[in-house]
Amino acid sequence: MRKKTIWVVDDDTIYQIIVNKIIQKSEMFSTISSFKNGKDAINAVSNSLNNIESFPDIILLDINMPIMDGWEFMEELQVLKPSINKQIIVYIVSSSIAVEDKNKAKSYPDILGYLSKPVNINDLILIASND
Amino acid sequence: MVLEKKWSKFISWFLSKPKTTGLFVFICLSFVIGYIVYQQYRIIKEDERREMHNTLQNVHQNIEQSLKNCYTTTLTLALTINDKGIPENFDYIGKQLVDTNSNISAVELVPKGVIKYIYPLEGNEAAMNLNLFATSYLKKEALKSIATKKMYFAGPFELKQGGIGIVGRFPVFQNNKFWGFSAVVIRLESLLKSSGINNINDSKYYFQLSKKNPINSKEVFYLPNKSDFSKKYNISVTIPDGDWKLYLISKHRNYLYYQILIPAILGFILAAFFGFVINSLLKKPKELQLLVHSQATKLLNSELKYKSIFDQAAVGIAYIDSYSGSFLEINKQYCNLLGYNEQEMKERNFQSVTHFDDLEEDLMNLEKLKLGEIREYSMEKRYLTKKNTIIWTKLTVSPLWDINEKPTTHIAIVEDISLRKEAEELIKKSEIRYKNLFDDSPLALWEEDYSAVKKYLLELNLINENPEIATSFLEKHPEIVQKCFSLVNIINVNNQCLIQFAPKTKSQLLRNTDFIFEKEIPSYFIKHLVAICQGNNHLNIDAQMKNAEGEIREIHLVYSVVKGYEDTLEKVIISTEDVTERKSAEKNIINTQHRLEALINTIDGIVWECNPTTLSFTFISKKMEEILGYTSAEWLENPNFWADHIYQDDREWTINYCALKTNQNLNHDFEYRMIAKNGSIVWLRDIVNVVMENGKAVSLRGIMIDITKTKEAEKELNDSFNLVTEQNKRLLNFSYIVSHNLRSHTSNISSIMDLIELSESEQERDEMIQLLKSISNSLNETMLHLNDVINIRTNIGLVSEPLNLNEYIDTAQNVLTEQITLNDVSITTDIPKTVMVNYNPAYLESILYNIISNSIRYRHPDRKPAIAIKWLIENDLNVLQISDNGVGIDLIKNADKIFGMYKTFSNNSDAKGIGLFITKNQIDAMGGNITVESEPNIGTTFKIYIQ
Repeated sequence: MRKKTIWVVDDDTIYQIIVNKIIQKSEMFSTISSFKNGKDAINAVSNSLNNIESFPDIILLDINMPIMDGWEFMEELQVLKPSINKQIIVYIVSSSIAVEDKNKAKSYPDILGYLSKPVNINDLILIASND
Repeated sequence: MVLEKKWSKFISWFLSKPKTTGLFVFICLSFVIGYIVYQQYRIIKEDERREMHNTLQNVHQNIEQSLKNCYTTTLTLALTINDKGIPENFDYIGKQLVDTNSNISAVELVPKGVIKYIYPLEGNEAAMNLNLFATSYLKKEALKSIATKKMYFAGPFELKQGGIGIVGRFPVFQNNKFWGFSAVVIRLESLLKSSGINNINDSKYYFQLSKKNPINSKEVFYLPNKSDFSKKYNISVTIPDGDWKLYLISKHRNYLYYQILIPAILGFILAAFFGFVINSLLKKPKELQLLVHSQATKLLNSELKYKSIFDQAAVGIAYIDSYSGSFLEINKQYCNLLGYNEQEMKERNFQSVTHFDDLEEDLMNLEKLKLGEIREYSMEKRYLTKKNTIIWTKLTVSPLWDINEKPTTHIAIVEDISLRKEAEELIKKSEIRYKNLFDDSPLALWEEDYSAVKKYLLELNLINENPEIATSFLEKHPEIVQKCFSLVNIINVNNQCLIQFAPKTKSQLLRNTDFIFEKEIPSYFIKHLVAICQGNNHLNIDAQMKNAEGEIREIHLVYSVVKGYEDTLEKVIISTEDVTERKSAEKNIINTQHRLEALINTIDGIVWECNPTTLSFTFISKKMEEILGYTSAEWLENPNFWADHIYQDDREWTINYCALKTNQNLNHDFEYRMIAKNGSIVWLRDIVNVVMENGKAVSLRGIMIDITKTKEAEKELNDSFNLVTEQNKRLLNFSYIVSHNLRSHTSNISSIMDLIELSESEQERDEMIQLLKSISNSLNETMLHLNDVINIRTNIGLVSEPLNLNEYIDTAQNVLTEQITLNDVSITTDIPKTVMVNYNPAYLESILYNIISNSIRYRHPDRKPAIAIKWLIENDLNVLQISDNGVGIDLIKNADKIFGMYKTFSNNSDAKGIGLFITKNQIDAMGGNITVESEPNIGTTFKIYIQ
């Protein structure tokens, strides 16, 4: 099975380290990219348009981020969607357990799931194998 | 025929011009007279001429005779001459000759031209031996006689013997030789005498004898009156024997004129006279003609006038034969009235078109007319028209024959009085109707005569007197009122009256009304009298009268003066209507109304009624005063009162809503504010009912309920609700954030724990433990933050003190000195030194610190940071304004995040997202507010509202 690329969009540095570690431990992914906020992530998406290979297979998206939060990122993504020839798979990863957030996630067709922090290896393996 | 006509025309032309004719006649006659006179003249002239001729002839003859005699004489004398040439017996012959011829004065023998022998010698001696040839004046003539060999009479000339005479010389030739002359001398006078010249009537003509003088060939005249007569009429005869001319000249032609002139004049006068006569004679016919003409014209005019009158008259005129009754002449109107045309009318007679009922009377009248008993008659009669309808006419008939003449024709003039008749009928009908109305009217009617009352009042000088004075006067004098009452005269009453008041008989009622009023003067009567004094012709009074059963009833009395009797009040109509029931019903209604009003006024709301289109109110209950402070009167006066007093903000909506609903004829219920008299705002709930009539909205009725308190309570409730919701939201938010933040840390810890367990090396484990440390630190920090926030939220021990603003700003600056100098920040403060705020010192410090540090943190990289702190008053609130020239905030994106917890939107690593959150909380806790205005790249301004 080809190893997938994954992007982690989260402003918590500690979490970034942790999730990196976990992804490495899972050995399911080939490339990991980290972004501190939605803005950086969407910029990267725009850049990846010409090189579709660089577009990630999976995106782990946090909600609460400065400058551009998770939902704003999703909106921007919808705008760029027509130019993306790859299937977009986004998973919301948040410490929020608010029902509104969970429902909101459902309204986006590209969001396949809602994960609550902490994330463990099994979740990642599931995501990776979920095709 | 034509000739006759021409002739008559000719004649008439003449007749028409008498003057001309007269003149013409005069001229004609003058001509005639002239001609006659001329003829006369000519005749006379002829006569004269003839006479003259005769006379002359006569004379001539005589002279000739004489000359002949002389010739004979000379001859005889010559014969005396013998052969020797010597006359023999001269004297004896001579004497005999002279005696025989009285004319001859002398005879001579003139041998060789020398007078030798003269008889009678006496008296003629002078002539002896006169040589004729020697004498010049004799010579010629002598020679002439010789030449002619005839006797030639020389002279007349002066005789040698004296006197004038002629000498007749007869040349004697002996043996053809001239011997001499035998001459005879005649004195002119004797010649003349013998000629009979002198016998001629001197008066008419005169003679003249002339001879051409042989010497000078001039005509010499020998008779007296030698004037030139060449001009005069003369006849002459030549006596060749002596070359004499004998003129007979007419004298005194004038007499001739007289002879002619007078007849001429007479004749002319006659002619003129005749002409004049003719003129005057003809004038008469002319005048007559003119008169006739003018009369004819007049006649024609009057004929025309008459014709037009006859034709165009608005009444029917007809000539009717008095015996047969047939229509001889009929005019248009007559025909129109009866519907026939002229032709048809002429075929009929008047009897055939007269209505049967009137025919007898008509014929009777006509008989009287014919008999001469009456000279004209008129009557009203009916005619039958062609359509068999009846028309009423007024007929006037007058005869066309003179008195005592036989009846011939008469004129009938008919006037259409059908309308009048109709009117009469109508009047009769209306009279009857009036009578019926009066008698059978359901209202009691009295016909009365107030004239006596008026007169009495006049006497009392109450007419036109001031009503108050009159009233008081009458009140003080009941006896006068009594008298007035008794003066009222009742003429007639109707049936209802009798029923209502039930007198014993009608006459009883007519006599007096005592039994109704029982000697008590009704109180209304004074009013009545005063009204009469004022000249009122109509009056409505309420009175009390007793009815048939003796009950006192309320009576509505209407007094009305019949038209035309306003002055005298002789005829007035009074109606008395028993209104007792009505009055009591009225009372009930009024009572009910009052009760209703009282009821309405007790309702705790403004009951109103208004016009649906104009929104002008027709009724407002008393509650208005209580609720809004305006009186009903004020409200009702101004048709736009309601609209004007609606609270401004609500006005448009309210009016539109009301109109909308009204148009849809829907009852509606809405709330709005109105401004009370004292200026306060009152909330009203208006429940409106649309009153329909025949499908149309005729009025709006409703009730306005004062819901101010309710509204206020509602508002308070709303406010608290909002507050609570807000608080709730914040709490939720807070809890959410808290949970999220705590969770993130805790989840991190849990993950790290997992990783430590999974770690494969010591190094990894140490890494993890380090991470754990930092997580724990973050967690701590978060807890601290939360503490702060909770503290603020619970407001425990919040103490406010009056604080000097400037001091605290300086303090904040001091705290940030390092940052300020490092970044070269300039801070300007524009706050009066004395400004004091009631604030919690810790909060004030924290707020100032936060905002200023934010301004420094988010400075613009391209310019020197400048912060301006100002103190303003905005809408009665104190405002602390802190503005900077930093990078600014995109408020469009981040307005809701700026004061949110843990919400950051910049990449600034120092930004925790909590500073402003805390600041806001602190300010809110102090009961103020904070707002932000910003423009990216320009700067940001925070405004803190302090109470």
